[in-house]
Amino acid sequence: MRLLLLCAILLCGQTVPASAQSHFVIVSGLGGDNAHRDQFYNWATSLVSTLRETMGVAPENIIYLAERPERDQTLINAKSTKENVTEALSELASRSAADAVIFVFLIGHGSYQGESSRLSLPGPDMSAEDFARLLGGFETQKIVFVNTASASGDFVEALSAPGRTIVTATKSPFERNETIFCEFFIEALAEDVADVDKDERVSVLEAFSYASAEVARYFDSQSRLLTEHAVLDDNGDGVGSSEPDPKGGDGALARVVFLDAGAPTRSLLAADDPELKALYDRRAQLEGQVLLLRNRKEGMEAAVYENELEKVLIELAQLGQTIRERESLLRRP
Amino acid sequence: MKSRTCWILILLGAAQLAPDSAYGQEQLAEAITALRSGRYDAAISQFSRALRRDSRSADAARGLVAALSEVGRYDEAERAARQFRSENPSSGRLDNSLGEVLYATGRIEEAEQLFTAASASEDSLVARYNLAVLWFDRGQVDQAMAEFDRFIDVYNRGGGLTSGELSAVASAVRYLGVTEPALFRDALRAYDEAIAADPGNLEPRIRLGEMFLQKYNGTEADATFKEVLELNPNSPRALLGLARTRRFNGEPEAATLVEQSLEVNPNLVGARLFNATLSLEMEQFGEAESEVERALQINPMSLEAMAVRAAAKYLRGDERGFRSGTSTILEQNPRFSGLYTVLAEASARNRLYEQAASFARQAVELDNRCWRGFALLGINQLRSGDMDAGRRNLETAFDGDPYDVWTKNTLDLLDNLQQYTVTTSDRFEFVMDGEESGLLTIYFTSLAEEAYEKLAEDYSHRPATPIRVEVFPHHADFSVRTVGLVGLGALGVSFGPVVAMDSPSARRIGEFNWAATLWHELAHTFHLEISGHRVPRWFTEGLAVYEERRAREGWGNRVSPSFLMAYRSGRLLPVGELNQGFMRPSYPGQLGHSYYQASLVCELIDRLAGHRVLVEMLHGYARGRSTKELVESELDMDLRQFDDVFEQFLEEKFSGVMVAMPSDDPTEAAATRSREQIARRARSNPGDFLAQLEMGRVLFQEQDHYAAITHLERAKSLFPDYAEGDGPYWLLAQIHKERGDTRRAVAELSRMVSLNERHYGSRLELADLLSTLDDERGAARVLTEALTINPLDAELHLRLAGLYAATGDLHGTVRERRAVVALDPVDRAEALYQLAQAHFDAGEWTEARQEVLRSLEYAPSFEQAQRLLLQIHAKRGGGRP
Repeated sequence: MRLLLLCAILLCGQTVPASAQSHFVIVSGLGGDNAHRDQFYNWATSLVSTLRETMGVAPENIIYLAERPERDQTLINAKSTKENVTEALSELASRSAADAVIFVFLIGHGSYQGESSRLSLPGPDMSAEDFARLLGGFETQKIVFVNTASASGDFVEALSAPGRTIVTATKSPFERNETIFCEFFIEALAEDVADVDKDERVSVLEAFSYASAEVARYFDSQSRLLTEHAVLDDNGDGVGSSEPDPKGGDGALARVVFLDAGAPTRSLLAADDPELKALYDRRAQLEGQVLLLRNRKEGMEAAVYENELEKVLIELAQLGQTIRERESLLRRP
Repeated sequence: MKSRTCWILILLGAAQLAPDSAYGQEQLAEAITALRSGRYDAAISQFSRALRRDSRSADAARGLVAALSEVGRYDEAERAARQFRSENPSSGRLDNSLGEVLYATGRIEEAEQLFTAASASEDSLVARYNLAVLWFDRGQVDQAMAEFDRFIDVYNRGGGLTSGELSAVASAVRYLGVTEPALFRDALRAYDEAIAADPGNLEPRIRLGEMFLQKYNGTEADATFKEVLELNPNSPRALLGLARTRRFNGEPEAATLVEQSLEVNPNLVGARLFNATLSLEMEQFGEAESEVERALQINPMSLEAMAVRAAAKYLRGDERGFRSGTSTILEQNPRFSGLYTVLAEASARNRLYEQAASFARQAVELDNRCWRGFALLGINQLRSGDMDAGRRNLETAFDGDPYDVWTKNTLDLLDNLQQYTVTTSDRFEFVMDGEESGLLTIYFTSLAEEAYEKLAEDYSHRPATPIRVEVFPHHADFSVRTVGLVGLGALGVSFGPVVAMDSPSARRIGEFNWAATLWHELAHTFHLEISGHRVPRWFTEGLAVYEERRAREGWGNRVSPSFLMAYRSGRLLPVGELNQGFMRPSYPGQLGHSYYQASLVCELIDRLAGHRVLVEMLHGYARGRSTKELVESELDMDLRQFDDVFEQFLEEKFSGVMVAMPSDDPTEAAATRSREQIARRARSNPGDFLAQLEMGRVLFQEQDHYAAITHLERAKSLFPDYAEGDGPYWLLAQIHKERGDTRRAVAELSRMVSLNERHYGSRLELADLLSTLDDERGAARVLTEALTINPLDAELHLRLAGLYAATGDLHGTVRERRAVVALDPVDRAEALYQLAQAHFDAGEWTEARQEVLRSLEYAPSFEQAQRLLLQIHAKRGGGRP
């Protein structure tokens, strides 16, 4: 069933973009000391800048709560207290469109004290259950919830539900060492390093895979044992995968969820040029065919599969050339 | 086994001693204390005195028999027992004790009569146990097992059993454990009760230790024997038990402990046989036979002794003696599967794996409950590459004996091995972890095929194919594959048709060179097959190291300061004794020295008579000839003369550097020497390599490079072969690099990598420097060598791909791009596209098409890959690019 749903999404060309209907809530928790305070501030600020400058997200769609709002009042909306987080998410639940995508991004120290994982905040901490209650306000919206803190693993079980992508920096609440996952997740969004399917956009799945691999590489380069194992859950079963596989488990939804605001230039070009729009539509169709073929691969003879794939890919490549030529023509002054 | 059981029972008699009259009670108590604490002479004297005072004292007589037996004075023990019986004809209280002495010395019929008689006496339970053991050893297994089974009823009736009787019950239950493994836990409980009933009685503790060892629990066995030795430091059987445990645990001192045991009791058959077994492992078959003969003089009916003798004859190639020996054993006990397990173990220890499997098969045919036989059969089938049959037999073994940790470990490993990926080349089958297989086969295949061709040419022999190469990413798995337990220190092993080795990922970078290791193990495969697996360990190891050196510059062991100092202090072994350095090293470092020394012996033979003679010697070993005979026939000199020639060879080779070695062991005090002492030492010893090197290092750390160069250059000239990471080449290269003198840095590093097969950093650094000198080919060559140390670094492959592309090595580029893909990069589409491009550049359109399709399959909108696909399509006649 998951497979069929995925195919349907792609055949219609309907990925889940972070369009004007996307909202971001970034919560940077207690640092505890200056070094961590700076680190969390730098990460969160870098994420906000990336969303605004690289991904074209409107500032009014970003809520940034931090330990010390006075550090940058142009970016930080308020102090990251439990009260403010609750208010921000409740208010967003009441005003966001039914098909909106809500991104929640937690940065900070996590803890686990026998009952549930928590994020350390100025004042009372917030538990996985607190967030679960707040996310309950988003009945129709898609949710992407990324907890980059230590001991964040059991957020998956607490928050998992259909239509939600939950990412945690650790696989369990018992991985309590400070984490580095956040750094690489943001790097995946900010730099041209994670777009492995070369569609010029970074999906949540791509960012997750990149960050996980880089975390492992980082620990290896330091000759240290890996103390954080990030997981992703997007099939609603409450069990995170460290290596999501869209073909048969987690990853199908995260693969088509993007943080960027789409491709406005292309949209504008296509809006003015029906011929180009038709080419884009055909390209989406062909990409969908590639995906369909991939899903049928195991039941096909290798040579037959290869030939059919080649046929579609050649048309796609030729179409790509045509599109580029057309785009180039339209961009000329 | 039989003799060991007898000794147990003799001591059991002692344990049951209790003064039987008021007279002499105190003296008897003292005698018993002396016996239990290992003051055997005192015990013998005190028991004798008590007996002289009261010739009717059965306790004194039994104590005397026990004490005499404990130190191996069996004749006197027998005389004492017979004398008591003749003076007390109505007392049957010495029947069992005498029976035990007679059984231990091979007089079975009379022993049987005595045990039968004693079964009706106060010793009935112990005598019944002895009788059942006798039947068991004689092949009357069903009768014996029925009797052992009755001990369970005895126990269940409960109440009133002495420590000695509980010990007999436990031992009887152990026999039953072969059909119901859970009974070993009952035996353990009964031993515990026996110990609790009389904590001073060491017998149940010794038997408990033996049971732990029998059930593969080396840790508990070690602790138990140590407990006994704390109470009685002279207990011959506890010393023997500890020796066996040490061997089981792979720890040293087994030989020393067994010698201690024999000092107390020179007639302890089990100790003689253990010594013989150690000699067999050392390939000292003559010594083994001598020890067995001594055991058989004590007990001419010992089946175990006869089995070890048969093994010695078999390994020595004495077919007639072997056949006659096995016939004698089977006449005595047609169901004695122990014969074949002894033969199988001895064969396997001497690398005769197929023969070991064959013997083990005979063991299980003789006794379908011989679980050790099934385990030996399975393990040796695995070593010969018969994986399915091996697994089946190991499963049978483990079903029957779930305590067998070797078998369990191996079965667990086989479960993992089923997940491994199997790839094949012309002559090889590679079995590797799926995550590594794609990468490693690229390099393993070409090296293994090259080694096969080269060695086949040099040895005029082509081993049967496919050769199975198993590569383990976890050293513990390799260790289990090799010896059934973790903790093996080796890097690789060749069983002949099967090679197992550590993957490069199993060890830290710089610990080994996988390519040299693979070459080494494949050389063994040739040696084993040509010699019919009869090549001595020292020769095959030496020759394999020598083959490494012949294969690549820098491979194979190199001379070290510690080797030179061992040579100077006379610690190198004569050629005739070189096996000892491998099998039973007597000082730390001797194993490494022995490898190098053995390789030099082979180098010398090559120099004296040519490589052909080394091959001839392998054929000679196949014909059962000894090293001594082969040296005489092939080199026309005896071993002593050869040792002299070897000495001259070493002198000629190392006299120059020998003078640069310090007179004392420089590593001893190096860590604590002050700077002033180091400087003084360097000033007063200008010809001392280590003194100069040490001073050079100090000055390097102080960044006084100008002064450091003087000492490091001097150290280098004193010992040019020293190329470790803390040596002059590396330090000088760093200095020259820092001073901007790239060419001199390159010269130092080039020399270093030509001598050191394991140093990774020097190769990376050399490649960097060569690139700055625009020597891209040189950089590529050095980085290719670096892959033999660490092939798992994606950056290295990317760099090499670039270098190959820049120098027009199209196939090299393809290989490195394949490696990048095999490392499963995050950006897989990019890696596949680059591989496709490399194929395209090499004119390999078909491969290019496949890879670009794989890239676009993953990333259909990948513009560069789309362009390449259209180019390929056009090349293949498909229209516009």
